Amino acid sequence: MSADYAHLCSSILEQCFGKVVQSVADCLFSATTRTLSQIVNSTHFSRKEVMLALAVLIKFRLVNFEPSKNNPFLPEYSLRREDVICLLRYSRYIHLVQTKYGNVGASIAEELLNAGSETATGLLLKCLSDGENKAESAETYRDTFIKMIADHYIIKIPELMTDNESEDAVPRFQTNECDFFVPPNIDLHLLAQIRKGEATLSKALDGAIVWSLNYDRFHQEFRDDIMRLAMERKLGENAAECFSFILNLIYNTTDPWQRKASNQITFVEIKQAIERKSNNLELMKFLDQYICLITDDSLGFLRKVGDMGGGQYLVDMEKAFESLALACVESVITERFGSKAARIFRVIRFKKYIEQEDLQKEAMIPAKEAKSLAYNLFQEQFIHVKVIKKPGGGGSGPAKAFYLFQIKEKDTVRMLLDNCFKSLYNTIRRSNYEKSEHKGLIEKSQRLDSIVETMKERGESDEYIAEIVETFTPPECEILKKVKHRIKTLSKAEMTLDDTIFLLQMYQHHCTTLPTGIQKFK
Amino acid sequence: MAGRGRGGKTGSLTAEQMQALGCVGKDMPQVQSAPPPTFPPLLNKPISLETTASQNYQLLWKEDFLNRMRDSPYYIISASQEKLNTSVKDWREKALERMKHKALPEFNYKAMPRELNTSSRKRRAAEPRPKLLAKKTNIEDRLKQLEQKELKSSGENENDEIKQESDSEHDDEPEDPEAALDDEMDEENDYANDYFDNGEAYNEEDDNMDDGPVY
Repeated sequence: MSADYAHLCSSILEQCFGKVVQSVADCLFSATTRTLSQIVNSTHFSRKEVMLALAVLIKFRLVNFEPSKNNPFLPEYSLRREDVICLLRYSRYIHLVQTKYGNVGASIAEELLNAGSETATGLLLKCLSDGENKAESAETYRDTFIKMIADHYIIKIPELMTDNESEDAVPRFQTNECDFFVPPNIDLHLLAQIRKGEATLSKALDGAIVWSLNYDRFHQEFRDDIMRLAMERKLGENAAECFSFILNLIYNTTDPWQRKASNQITFVEIKQAIERKSNNLELMKFLDQYICLITDDSLGFLRKVGDMGGGQYLVDMEKAFESLALACVESVITERFGSKAARIFRVIRFKKYIEQEDLQKEAMIPAKEAKSLAYNLFQEQFIHVKVIKKPGGGGSGPAKAFYLFQIKEKDTVRMLLDNCFKSLYNTIRRSNYEKSEHKGLIEKSQRLDSIVETMKERGESDEYIAEIVETFTPPECEILKKVKHRIKTLSKAEMTLDDTIFLLQMYQHHCTTLPTGIQKFK
Repeated sequence: MAGRGRGGKTGSLTAEQMQALGCVGKDMPQVQSAPPPTFPPLLNKPISLETTASQNYQLLWKEDFLNRMRDSPYYIISASQEKLNTSVKDWREKALERMKHKALPEFNYKAMPRELNTSSRKRRAAEPRPKLLAKKTNIEDRLKQLEQKELKSSGENENDEIKQESDSEHDDEPEDPEAALDDEMDEENDYANDYFDNGEAYNEEDDNMDDGPVY
């Protein structure tokens, strides 16, 4: 975890939960675990405020706690650092759910995100009381909710252990992996009674079972989307469809977050799956050729490992994300230093080790320009130098040494990831600055909008409304337009940066052994 | 070994290394002796971002979400900050804030460490202290009783009065544990009674003391 990531987390939390939570999270970020008293001492907020901040962080599943090793009655808190950035991805989660399950699914996911975690009955009550989807029945909500659980988008939070020692200072939870996606028993009759006010929520049978969004299932979908889109751009829609069938097949036998490569599947299995589920006749007709095309492609998504069952294949996640991440690095170099620098980068990558003189010849770039570009790339740590010293020399004069350019992929990706964190932090800061600088103007326009809306509802005359609208002067309109445009551009930049961050994080998960915090169940 | 390890990467080469890489004379880049400027000039103009329908949906949702969070009870503002804000705000802003009152936060305190539960502390603090109250009433009652007894037994013997008083004390407050505890402390369990030394044994023979002090 870098300092840039710490700053980013801090600003994200400030944006969502305010300054107190930000300070508490900063304090937790800098240490493995902290006790309440330690946090109070280092944050200089009142004990009550810190307690509230910790409760909020626990509710939104950003802080874990466990009893201290020395004193089982004393809880120690730790920040789930890798989950903080998920707050920026909430809009992506909602969009995904909306495309898959429609407005009902989006409403369920939204309520879960707003609440952090919730019981099934409580969640459905909130959704049903929401004004937007009042037309939908409780049954529709229940069915969508259960379908989302079955598809692993919603996960059960470990259950609280209720034994004789229920008055424990630090509550304990029992985790059962088989139990995470077992659908709850939702009593629609009771739900209707609660809505009418004839019963209370405490009567619900599922009061102890709490549900939350399973972020890693969403991340799995995003990862598959990256691969599918890359395939579509390079080999066309049919190849992309074929590859998505292959991905769905491997998840039957493989943990989706297995780091290097998937388990094997046969050609026959792929063919059967496509014949069963697809209507694409062209794909069915030329399936063997499409699979050959995907296997032979330089992206290296699919690898043939045997001939059994018409051919055995596996999805090579390591190679896939290496190709994708390096393509991203190349694109960054092209945008920052130009296409010639990207060519130099590619030459070094293919040659592995290369001297300066050979580099300019291979890249077919004039010597002076090649030197300047190589130096710039070296200075920005996109390429590295390996020094090989020739032994001997008899002690007279300096030992002869060879300086070879090389690419340390893992270091380059880490550097780029840190740059992305820094840029994202800067973007958020700038956006906040714009908002606070023009706060008065933005609020005035919001007030005016609401007034005009109520006037229209009341049926006031257009002339009168126009008069009210004119209180917002043309120069003010101009400034507001510019500010809004700037904020929108910054928000778009945030989203694009997050896409890059996600891709590079996937590289770190599949191509390195670094701990990434990604796992099937959390 | 300077220049090695995680912290040693400075991103620049020595003059010798640069020469070996083919940079001589004018080709040599200038040595950086100061941190780079905060806002360096942009060499290449960045490509403009495309906006798709899905991005628009996400942007709107995100803005809405952040606004919702800011108005939610989970957006915590410290007391000092709040004071600062209220002193700056004019009457209109204050009135608007009063209108959009925040909902109460919902926490499942059962699933959190007990020390975070602020509501239970309040309840405990609000609970009356039965023992202390009982004692208070007893003192008042007892003072009244004593007054009455004083009036009644003004002519009686002093010793009898003390006896009666102690008896009545035992009869009246048999259930008050603290008072009982005081009585015990006063009479039977008095340390001074048990270990009272009248000084008679001062010159008695003691074999252990004959040998003088032991070091």
